[in-house]
Amino acid sequence: MRWGMVIDLVRCVGCQTCTIACKQENGLPAGVLWRFVADSEVGEYPDVRRLFLPMQCMHCVEPPCVPVCPTGASQQREDGIVWVEYDRCVGCGYCAMACPYRARHLIKDASWHFPGQPTPAEQATAQPARRGVMTKCTFCVDRVDRGIARELRPGVDPEATPMCAVACIAGAIIFGDLDDAESPACKLIKERGAVPLMPELGTNPSVYYVTE
Amino acid sequence: MSGPTQKIPVYCYQCVAGPDLLKVIVRDGVAVGVEPNADFAEIHPACGKVCVRAYGLIQKLYNPNRIRAPMKRTNPRKGRREDPGWREISWDEALGLLAEKLNRIRATGLVEETGYPRLAVTFGSGGIAPAYLGTFAAFLAAWGPVDQGIGSGQGVKCYHSEHLYGEFWHRAFTVAADTPRCDYVLSFGYNGDASAGVTGIFRHGEARVRGLRWMQIEPHLSVTGAGATEWVPIRPKTDAALLFGLLYVILHETDWRKTCDVPFLETMTSSAYLVAPHGYYLRDPGSMKPLVWDLERERPVAFDDPKLRRPALEGTFLAAGVELGPDGERWSIADSVRPAFALLRDHVSTYTPAWAEAITDVPAATVRRLAREYLSHAGVGRTIQVDGLTLPHRPVAVLLGKTVSNGWGGYECCWARTVLAALVGALEVPGGILGTTVRLNRPARNRLESVRPGSDGFMAQPLNPTDRARWEASPHIRSGYRTLVPLAADSPWSPALSPAHLPWLFLDQPPEHWPRTTFPEVWIIYRTNPAISNWETGRVEAALERFPFVAAFAYTQDETNWYADLLLPEATDLESCQLYRIGGTKYMEQYWEHTGFALRQPVTDPPVNCRDLTDIATELAERCGLLPAYLQALNRGAGTGVPLKRKYFDVRDPPIRPAAQEVWDRVCRAATLSLTGGKTELGLDWFKAHGAFFVPFPIVNYYLHPVMVAQGLRYELPYQERLKRVGEELGRRLHERGIRWWDAQLDEYRPLPIWRDFPDIWARVALKHGRRPEEFPLWLLTSRSMQYSWGADVSLPVLAEVARLVVGHFGVMLNRRTGLALGIQDGDLVEIESPTGRTKGRAILREGVRPDVAVALQQFGHWATPVARDLGMPSLNQVSAIDLDLTDATGSGADLVRVAIRKV
Repeated sequence: MRWGMVIDLVRCVGCQTCTIACKQENGLPAGVLWRFVADSEVGEYPDVRRLFLPMQCMHCVEPPCVPVCPTGASQQREDGIVWVEYDRCVGCGYCAMACPYRARHLIKDASWHFPGQPTPAEQATAQPARRGVMTKCTFCVDRVDRGIARELRPGVDPEATPMCAVACIAGAIIFGDLDDAESPACKLIKERGAVPLMPELGTNPSVYYVTE
Repeated sequence: MSGPTQKIPVYCYQCVAGPDLLKVIVRDGVAVGVEPNADFAEIHPACGKVCVRAYGLIQKLYNPNRIRAPMKRTNPRKGRREDPGWREISWDEALGLLAEKLNRIRATGLVEETGYPRLAVTFGSGGIAPAYLGTFAAFLAAWGPVDQGIGSGQGVKCYHSEHLYGEFWHRAFTVAADTPRCDYVLSFGYNGDASAGVTGIFRHGEARVRGLRWMQIEPHLSVTGAGATEWVPIRPKTDAALLFGLLYVILHETDWRKTCDVPFLETMTSSAYLVAPHGYYLRDPGSMKPLVWDLERERPVAFDDPKLRRPALEGTFLAAGVELGPDGERWSIADSVRPAFALLRDHVSTYTPAWAEAITDVPAATVRRLAREYLSHAGVGRTIQVDGLTLPHRPVAVLLGKTVSNGWGGYECCWARTVLAALVGALEVPGGILGTTVRLNRPARNRLESVRPGSDGFMAQPLNPTDRARWEASPHIRSGYRTLVPLAADSPWSPALSPAHLPWLFLDQPPEHWPRTTFPEVWIIYRTNPAISNWETGRVEAALERFPFVAAFAYTQDETNWYADLLLPEATDLESCQLYRIGGTKYMEQYWEHTGFALRQPVTDPPVNCRDLTDIATELAERCGLLPAYLQALNRGAGTGVPLKRKYFDVRDPPIRPAAQEVWDRVCRAATLSLTGGKTELGLDWFKAHGAFFVPFPIVNYYLHPVMVAQGLRYELPYQERLKRVGEELGRRLHERGIRWWDAQLDEYRPLPIWRDFPDIWARVALKHGRRPEEFPLWLLTSRSMQYSWGADVSLPVLAEVARLVVGHFGVMLNRRTGLALGIQDGDLVEIESPTGRTKGRAILREGVRPDVAVALQQFGHWATPVARDLGMPSLNQVSAIDLDLTDATGSGADLVRVAIRKV
């Protein structure tokens, strides 16, 4: 079992629905995004292409963020999900330095979208345990685990699937078991030649991109 | 509403590409999030998804900057620097104050001496307001004459020519590609990946994976251009020249008898109709039917002669008959006549690719390639099975975006695009271009039912009359659409599609022989902010200071309600109740296989002292003595779109004032009875639990073709004989009144549109203001932001946070080399100057922008709206002009301005 994701860049329109859905699902404070879609250009006028590239934690098989963690807070599960045990994290930022995908985010303190008090929704979804520690995309591990406990299928049943994939309006984000050759994610990698980002780094990411 | 976690179904209709279905997650009485409504994943065309802005709804609900209670202005002086002095009042006092003003109108007369209604109402946000208005429209129906033509930009800045000509030609208020069955799209600035909502974007994604080739022709590389097969940069406002060039290639550089769909041209269009010397059809003197030349019998016959086998599309023929001109003029003709198609070929014979290149900056070779690719993908002769019916399959489409499809040049582009479809039979058939809905024709719920036989083998058209007896010489509302714009028709939507910027322009300087534009005694505004969304916002603001009484349904303080006298915080998206039609075909790319109704309902206790708009409407009706008329309006479906069934409101004295929930319960029951032919009746409680109710909608209903064939009707293409006559009559009527200031617009009524130097129309604005055109070397354009279109999203920080990731927000985009040549670096503060205004913003240097173009997304320039006022976003509206010279015959303009940009 190795949870992973395939992102179809042919479908992505850079709308940031995944970005905001992730933010909502994970109760992230103002200024913190665990994922985003980069809006970039390749080439020079008039031979230029505009490219939308969703970025997030790659949940690498060889995650450089894990061995550098001085407290052991940065960990990897057997199913491949890389996560942070907040109680052990001191927010030193070594993992952020080690991550080539810039997928680690320090939440310094509470910050609300409007000056002053949090809204009732922010109050209800605040995550005090994350203050002062490094945070990152967890592949919505709580949704995945709860779903499995209910015998739902991650990547198929919305309630067991990471919120970015659930929310994506273009059907561009496919979540699934990369060890299962029959999973939609694996099939997409095979059929459309999906590739990971910066494979030369040897991190063996679990997020693949379909580019054409 | 407290307790465990609930998931409450509602709809989101914050743009016209909705409604979409979602659930609001409510925990211990607090709304904490939204999610797609997976219950309808099999029914919704995009698997039940909702876009980025739906995720802002929670913040919209709890925004601390909301107007928290009704407010009354205490400072009688109005101005940007005048604090309104808001004082909180009760709803009783607020509605009492408004009713007092309204009852004064009823006492003195609903219409003033000028002929204009004393009450004006402006709804913003184009087609989305009805999804949130509750029963307010029923109140207006009970009221009587209301001026709904004081614009906020919503009508004249839309796909305006497409709306008017689209409905005229093929019942297409908006035009979409039949994307799932389309293989090749020529997109002239159509930005559907920002504007077509989740259903459109999902369809586009599926099609790209399937191999759809999408050629994006536009001055800057938009969000939609990012996903295109190829970007073709083009000079702004020259799209018509490229489209004409495409017509030239097809009609003069290919053997059109082999490349075009000749049977379609012969039987489904007016291509064979003979045109006589005065430019009108040659008609049979007895039946007055247009004549065509029968190549077998070698004589003219009526277009619908059952023995006609081979109508001539080419040639010159000597024939006799009559021509029917304006005002019933008839000429007996025995002269040379030509088929309309032959005139079309002649007409485009000078629009060569080389000619197009000189105007558009698109290489002639590219023009030829695009035309030939279009033909090669058209698959003339192919068929496809849809719902058991064999239909033509023409997988090619030409799409037009904003600024292409409105303002000068809009007619020419819409005509050329539709002719391109007709040439290969790709009009209203699988794979081609389709209409989505009707707003000027009726019934609005089903565009197929709006197809009825009219004259000359075409559909009946609801044009405003131009004959001497029926033409409306004195405008009934301030925008005068029945007087000036025959194509605007006269449906409930027509005021919003009228020249709605003219009231602002004519306020102090009415043109000759035109009634003085007055301020309405009461102006009610809803979800609209013309001080931001109109052109020439400075002019608008100056006028706002002088409106005698403005009641504004208000979410936050904004730039328009700053000038209001009364703020009414109506219950917003997640606080109020409404049932709304969903599915079928509608706007943008809403093509469903189901149709039905969806409910929006309160999900939690409102955090402010707001009130459901249905309750406000009902109470206003009662306070104005209109309750019986209001209830009668509800009985017949005014305001709700659903005529009641079985459970009608009793309007006998004294009528009982129903609560919003009671109104919507009856509407829910009527809606389900209507959908099921009386078999199923479901009330409000059922909808609250389930969210929506659907019945199947056949795919074949996407297409007009079967209905046209069944009724033996033709598309009124390529020759615009009717419009020529209408334009001539309109000109006579106006000239008879001494009105000459609409003459430039009258020139648009040509049977075959010509290229005019459209960009020069904007360049010449400088001369009117004592400046030289060359002082303004750049075009400032705007482009759709998915994150910020409509709604109240400008005041939500969470949307700013994610919008910042889409390049172009919070600055002005410039070509990198242009910027560097001007000494401008990325992030520099720059001044944007037009002949009529200045604004500032941060430079964003990009490669995907033509060197002569700058782009400011959406509409900003806020100074009063919380959060938005801190975004520092320049706006085209601050430097654009409201100008008759920039107004086309449909009454619209376009979002582009000649500017100079310099580093501050």
